[in-house]
Amino acid sequence: MNARSVAAWSAACLFIVLFATNPVYKVVVLAAAIASLAVGAGLNRMRGLFTAIALIATFATALNFVSAHLGRTTLFTLPPQIPALGGPYTLEALAAGLSGGVTVAAAIVAAAPFSLMLKSHDVMDALPSALSRTGAAIAASLNLVPSVAASFVQVSEAQRLRGWRPRGPRSWAEVVVPVVLTSVEGSIQLAESMEARGFGSGPRTSLRAARLKQRDWILVATSAAAVIAFTAGRAADWYPYPQLHAPQIDIVPLAACLLLFTPVLTWRSRG
Amino acid sequence: MALEDVTLQIDEGLTVVSGPSGGGKSTLLRVLNGLVPHFHGGRIAGSINVDSQDVITTPTRRLARTVGFVFQDPELQTVYDVVDREVAFGLENVGMPAPEMADRVEEALRAAGVSHLAGRSVRTLSGGERQRVALASALAMRPRLVVLDEPTSQLDPEGAAMVLDATMRLVQQGRAAVIAEHRLERLLQAAGAMVSVEEGRATSGPPTPPTPPTTQPTAPHMTSQPGPLAWSLTKVTAGFGTHVVLDDVDAAGNQGEVVALCGPNGGGKTTLLRLIAGALSPTKGTIERRPGRIAYLPQNPTALLHLPTVRAEVRMTLDRANESEMPDVILQKLGLTEVAGRYPRDLSTGERQRAALAAVLPGHPKIVLLDEPTRGMDDTARHALVHLIANLRDDGASIVLATHDEHLRAALADRVLKVSGGKVVQAT
Repeated sequence: MNARSVAAWSAACLFIVLFATNPVYKVVVLAAAIASLAVGAGLNRMRGLFTAIALIATFATALNFVSAHLGRTTLFTLPPQIPALGGPYTLEALAAGLSGGVTVAAAIVAAAPFSLMLKSHDVMDALPSALSRTGAAIAASLNLVPSVAASFVQVSEAQRLRGWRPRGPRSWAEVVVPVVLTSVEGSIQLAESMEARGFGSGPRTSLRAARLKQRDWILVATSAAAVIAFTAGRAADWYPYPQLHAPQIDIVPLAACLLLFTPVLTWRSRG
Repeated sequence: MALEDVTLQIDEGLTVVSGPSGGGKSTLLRVLNGLVPHFHGGRIAGSINVDSQDVITTPTRRLARTVGFVFQDPELQTVYDVVDREVAFGLENVGMPAPEMADRVEEALRAAGVSHLAGRSVRTLSGGERQRVALASALAMRPRLVVLDEPTSQLDPEGAAMVLDATMRLVQQGRAAVIAEHRLERLLQAAGAMVSVEEGRATSGPPTPPTPPTTQPTAPHMTSQPGPLAWSLTKVTAGFGTHVVLDDVDAAGNQGEVVALCGPNGGGKTTLLRLIAGALSPTKGTIERRPGRIAYLPQNPTALLHLPTVRAEVRMTLDRANESEMPDVILQKLGLTEVAGRYPRDLSTGERQRAALAAVLPGHPKIVLLDEPTRGMDDTARHALVHLIANLRDDGASIVLATHDEHLRAALADRVLKVSGGKVVQAT
């Protein structure tokens, strides 16, 4: 799988989901992203991602519902004396919140192939040569992430057995400080290893140059077509206030969103 | 002063570097490829030449073609996540064309005996395999000299044997290698020279045989019978998510008894220790333990250390346990008196290990759980640890050691349990 074609598809998804106001198109992009990722990464590897986006999307929805007391369709009202929460709770605010939640979820899922489907060297190989040294450093630091998580579990267990108990934010220093120090030391050791292997000695080459295959070109072409068609199709805006109404659906923007399902056909399952 | 007035000549063949923890071995090795002073800083005087290159004026990244370096921790020297890409990293850095690079990678994998690992994800490799991949990465540059800094200190016996075999093979192929190592027995058969580094001074000479096994510490029981039950697991199943690590396990330990756990990496030794400690809950079964403090040394114990001095680390544990013992008691037992006022993370690897032991073991713990406590330790520190554990045992503590160290088991274990394939059985 070529990281450049994945980047083109992710960028197209993000473009539509961030620039569209119409929730129908956002939902279609979210569906395309989930379906593509399910094919490429497998449903098992998406469980954690689903939990995370469900939490974030719910928070985004709830935040708008609780804070935007606008709209004509009142569902219930809390006494205005309650600070921050008091006032009318409206169907329009709920709809706007849901639209925001779908936006966040689609954006996360569209970017997820970089962590769930590509290896760090795939991304590095796709970077322009001017950024290859930066890419190598990023790839190396990404490899440290799992050890940081393991270190956190190990240190918190061991400190607990030395009598530590979580009592407010300051008490966490006894866990966080050793984890951070260990991570910093790990980074220094990795940098030492990279230096000893000639990192930074001049222009780099790559064992395997990233080349676009036919299916990668197809994905790049359909992603570009989706962006162009969505822009040219002049998708009608949607604004739920003051009275909630159904969003207008236009054929060309809808077709543009459907093009983002292309990875379902071009990505082989890695699950 | 890490090194002082050192004059050495290292010839082709295998040179073994030995000496106590904190004596200057790692600094000496890092001088050979310029990591000292170019990466670590500090002041340096005199002259150092490797293959006619002046180390003091040549950056480490330029010396990388001449000197290959393999570090202690296999996890902290991996840049990429696929084996052949990892081996190619150095070649990519020096701008080698891709076709030539592929040949070099193949050659290096073969030289390190890991051709079969090409294409594998680094994360799926054992420690021994990872360390041999690190060796292949160094060999890919076709260096004149390969330097290995305690490459087996983090490995189990099988992994260590793999790495040492690969090292000896490259010497037989005509390369020069310098290795700092505590497991000298196997290496000395092939070594052409030996350098001893102690208190910053280095002396070279012919290889000297290791200390005979008769000096291995022994720790006889003060009492003939172990006491009452201290901990027990009954029909316990445990794991992570859907992965079962221990399945329907029964095990128990008594007061005043040392139980050693053996078995392959990933067999469940650490999981068993965490269950006894109460850090991990079983999915089935019951665990009972006597009341009182549990001292637990995790696999990477130096990660615990964060206070300004070694003494402060010990005092914190004693204060929390309401123990009246003075910190200097355990510091003296572990030979740490001289470094008691120093920042623990500035110490050498072996000293850090002892500092971590001092931080978890002071006072009178009722249950002592140690995960690979002798990893990276020299003989002196190992002897001190044996005596400390024997004292705790005679004081009535129940000790459980997860260890690959046969000498430690022989010196201390009343019983040995083999933890493998999700089961725990009495070892024969």
